[in-house]
Amino acid sequence: MAGSVVGAGLIVEGEFTSDEEVVVDGTLRGTLTSADVVTISGDGVVEADLRAPSVVVAGQLTGNVNASSRVDIQAGGRLIGDVKAGRLTIADGASFRGNVDMDV
Amino acid sequence: MAYASVISSSAVIRGNVRGDGSLQILGRIEGDVGVTGDLALGPDAVVVGAISGARIVIAGSVEGDVTGSEAVVISETGKVVGDLSAPRIGMSEGALVRGGMRTDGVASGNSARRAPAARGVEAEEERSRPVARPAPRPPANAAPAASAAGSSSAAAKRPPPPPVIQAPRAGARARKRLHKR
Repeated sequence: MAGSVVGAGLIVEGEFTSDEEVVVDGTLRGTLTSADVVTISGDGVVEADLRAPSVVVAGQLTGNVNASSRVDIQAGGRLIGDVKAGRLTIADGASFRGNVDMDV
Repeated sequence: MAYASVISSSAVIRGNVRGDGSLQILGRIEGDVGVTGDLALGPDAVVVGAISGARIVIAGSVEGDVTGSEAVVISETGKVVGDLSAPRIGMSEGALVRGGMRTDGVASGNSARRAPAARGVEAEEERSRPVARPAPRPPANAAPAASAAGSSSAAAKRPPPPPVIQAPRAGARARKRLHKR
């Protein structure tokens, strides 16, 4: 099954939980918990604490991230908040401000 | 499908969802949902809160008011506990509804562009209906009166309706009597 898509122009405010993939092209505020990959695409804006196995940030994310597997901040992506993850990549051109906890 | 946004079947949202574009809900939303585009609720979708959209198709269940600016369609698996309001409301056999229904929703007509004009005409029709009804009747009755009474056609135009209505009856009776004799 395809997962959830918060399309451009859509605003979700509150607590979002899902067992499937979540793609954010629009705006999401609150908390986001997913059992699968969360992708914040180029125009996506997320102001939420985020918990997911894997997180891809190509848009804007403001909030703390807890990823059991990995966090990838792609070029053009912007993350403000603390990251707790097994792996973290920050691409050239990405912005990041916050603390990193990688279970060292 | 061609929906801009999708809330998947395993997804649960506690909070509000609003914005532009179309939305397909397959999961559960506890909060109000308002979009400018079309809104579809899959068979397993549950929304506890008011929903609004352009064209709303409900195959799941809604506990809250439903407002469609174009239409609301409830499929056979659909269930709504709340008031329905839309210019057009469709229901399949098997659909469950508990609540009020209004088909004179926010926008009427086929397109939003013509909505204000259409609304104005409808309102005017309703307003003028009680007044307009008696008016066309006398001329309709006056025509047979004129043919039956012949010379009194000019006089039949002016007098108030009641005498005019009675006139053809009297004339008809008189003619029948004449024919019998």
